[in-house]
Amino acid sequence: MTLRVTQSMMHSQLLRNVNNNLSRMERNQNVLSTGRKILKPSDDPVGITYALHYRSELSINEQYQKNIDTAKAYVDHTDTILGQVNDLIQRANELTTQGVNGTNPQSALDAIAQELGQIYEQAVTLGNDRLNGKYIFNGQKTDIQPYTTAGAPTESSDDQKIVYQFSAGVTVPINVTGNEVFGIGSGPNQEPDNLFSVLKDLQNDFLNGDQTAARTDMDRLTSRFNKFLDVRAEVGARANRIDLLDSRLQDLNQNLTALDSKVEDADIAETITNLQADQNVYQASLSVGAKIIQPSLLDYLR
Amino acid sequence: MSSTFHGIETAKRSLFTQQAALNTTGHNIANANTAGFSRQVVNMTASKPMEAYGMNRSVTPGQLGTGVEFTSITRVRESFLDDQFRNENKSLGNWSIQADTLDKLQTIMNEPSDSGLRTVLDNFWKSWSDLSKDPENVTGRKIVRENAIALTDAFNQTSKQLSDLKNDLTNNIQVKVNEINSTITTIAGLNAEIQRIEGLGDDANDLRDQRDLLTDNLSKIANIQVTNTPQGYNISIGGINLVTGGTFTATSEAALESGFASGDLNSGEVYGMIVSRDKYVADYQNQLDTLANTIANGEVTITIPAGSVIPEGATLNVVTGTGSNQTVTSTTFSGTSRTLSADLTVQVNGLNGLHQLGYLFGSPPATGGDFFTAKPGSSGITATSIQLNPDIAADASKIATSLRTDGTGVNETTVKGNNTLAMLMAQLKDTSFTFTAQGSSASSGSGVTSGTIDEYFRAIIGQLGVQGQEASRQLNNQKALVDQVDGRRQSVSGVSLDEEMSNMIKFQHAYGAAARFMTSYDQILDKLINGTGMVGR
Repeated sequence: MTLRVTQSMMHSQLLRNVNNNLSRMERNQNVLSTGRKILKPSDDPVGITYALHYRSELSINEQYQKNIDTAKAYVDHTDTILGQVNDLIQRANELTTQGVNGTNPQSALDAIAQELGQIYEQAVTLGNDRLNGKYIFNGQKTDIQPYTTAGAPTESSDDQKIVYQFSAGVTVPINVTGNEVFGIGSGPNQEPDNLFSVLKDLQNDFLNGDQTAARTDMDRLTSRFNKFLDVRAEVGARANRIDLLDSRLQDLNQNLTALDSKVEDADIAETITNLQADQNVYQASLSVGAKIIQPSLLDYLR
Repeated sequence: MSSTFHGIETAKRSLFTQQAALNTTGHNIANANTAGFSRQVVNMTASKPMEAYGMNRSVTPGQLGTGVEFTSITRVRESFLDDQFRNENKSLGNWSIQADTLDKLQTIMNEPSDSGLRTVLDNFWKSWSDLSKDPENVTGRKIVRENAIALTDAFNQTSKQLSDLKNDLTNNIQVKVNEINSTITTIAGLNAEIQRIEGLGDDANDLRDQRDLLTDNLSKIANIQVTNTPQGYNISIGGINLVTGGTFTATSEAALESGFASGDLNSGEVYGMIVSRDKYVADYQNQLDTLANTIANGEVTITIPAGSVIPEGATLNVVTGTGSNQTVTSTTFSGTSRTLSADLTVQVNGLNGLHQLGYLFGSPPATGGDFFTAKPGSSGITATSIQLNPDIAADASKIATSLRTDGTGVNETTVKGNNTLAMLMAQLKDTSFTFTAQGSSASSGSGVTSGTIDEYFRAIIGQLGVQGQEASRQLNNQKALVDQVDGRRQSVSGVSLDEEMSNMIKFQHAYGAAARFMTSYDQILDKLINGTGMVGR
């Protein structure tokens, strides 16, 4: 049996088609105006889980990058201060070398002793250096001044590291402790080459004119200098590591952005083309509707 | 021998019958756009022919036709298609509600977006990471506090929207129950009336149309079974009787709920609403509750770095070994054992458990309290009840960041620069939790029992996406099916104006011809009566 076709069938068919076209256009228009092809989870249930993942990663990476910026400032500052400590030790070394050559009158030794006193005080000042109000050489006890001018040779800093997180599972200590830089001044692990005590001892040696003692103390100074250079190298290496992490995070950011865009972003050209096609179909369906729905036998019965 | 006036009688019958056909055509045209109307046809039949009669044997050959008469006016309809339509319509009702609910759920979850729960969670973890860079300062704590409040607000609000949706669905079920009851009242009335009219031998076409239309509407609301009996339609939803002939049994929400439980109610809008409410909304509420409770209390394994100091008298579940060799021993830390000489892996219960290990800045150092608490009057932490500990909300310095103290006894002080706790908090973002539901809501729809908070949330959204996609696919399918069946029904029962117009011409001509026949008979009789016996006049 052939299908009877009635006017209301054609009406509803037309309405259905026009509606379908409209909803396709609405979707395309939404995609175009947001630039995204996932507007709700059901658009792409698998894609959305990836998209959420990428978005979270991007968001936390932003934080890691902020951490890196802070860490860089901290490490750079530490390096500057260590540079100044370096200068101090070298000057002390020069003075000592000059003082122990056996040809100096006591007045010259007194002058050397006086300058060593200045160096000692400057070393203590550097040991108490602060960044943003925090003592950088006192481990985690950043709110406590580690050294006093009088007691520095027998004082120790806090030993623990301040650790920053730079990505999931990657933590890097960003500080060096006073103990590492200047030597441990007290306690069972006390180091004989503590910078403050070496400087103090040298000063006293020259004041007393005791060049033999000064020679021995000079060895302690050299020993400290070597340890100090290790610490400085470590800070440098740490700065490099942070730089590396930084560029890795930037790469990761780019990759994630690209991945996210692949999942979430609309193909504008494709969508516009589709929209254009849909518009054509829509207009065709309207004009066909206008032509087909209108005439019936009624129009010819006059 | 036929009567002299036989032709007039024949013509009259013809005029009446064609007129009836014309009137029916008019009725069809008038109702071309009436919902539920099925076209009607006048069933014509040749009237009983003349028999030989009289006392003498008739010599008239054969039977003489006496014209036309109509035996009935019936509607053109296929009840098979009605059954099919109702069968598909119930699924359409079901899926349209489910798709609609899932759409609303997607709006509530508001992903992907920059303002959904995921963003708030991200910001929360980020604020801890920020705080870990500057643990001495109170500013960072305030940011953590604000982000924690934003997080609990997001949970509270989402949960509230879910309960609102749940209430809406319950209200809508009641609305549908009312709709069912008013529809079955009318159907029972129509049953009685149709039976009365048809008892007189007529066809109650238009009333039947109305009854079918109402039944169609009813079929969208629930999976009804329709049985056609001499007393009219008997309608039931599984074992729930709605209409028996002229009587109806009003149903109720409770009856439909128990019908849902027993399987009597298994499709249609009401079914869709109950499924949406008890399966989808309840499930997402559960998952959200689980998420909130897990963040606060879910078991998580963390490693406390060497140098940290455990609060005096704290008992921790220390984890040793890995994999299958892993053992957990409950250890109490006191005196010198408090200071860790090596990294210590322990299980703690969520952010709350971890926060309690940290020290506040006061002297002597107090340990941190719960980070999240339940709102007063609620038994446990759910998405609805979760709040930032009011003490912390009032005073951000109650947020602990340090895991280390210095000195002993009364001289014990918190090492302010220690950021271990803040860092461990920030690292929880990437740490696997064991998801634990609060109280009785033990079922976890997504099936995720352990994983990071982010993973769990993604699983929720992924599940929602799959369900939403499935529902809208089913809805589209079902729409197509219903449209198709309805198209076939229209093809059988719909009014075609072209057809009616051609019928009209047909009947009009028949009517005209009958009238002409009448005129011709008139002239014959005129001739016979007025022109006979006047020979020569």
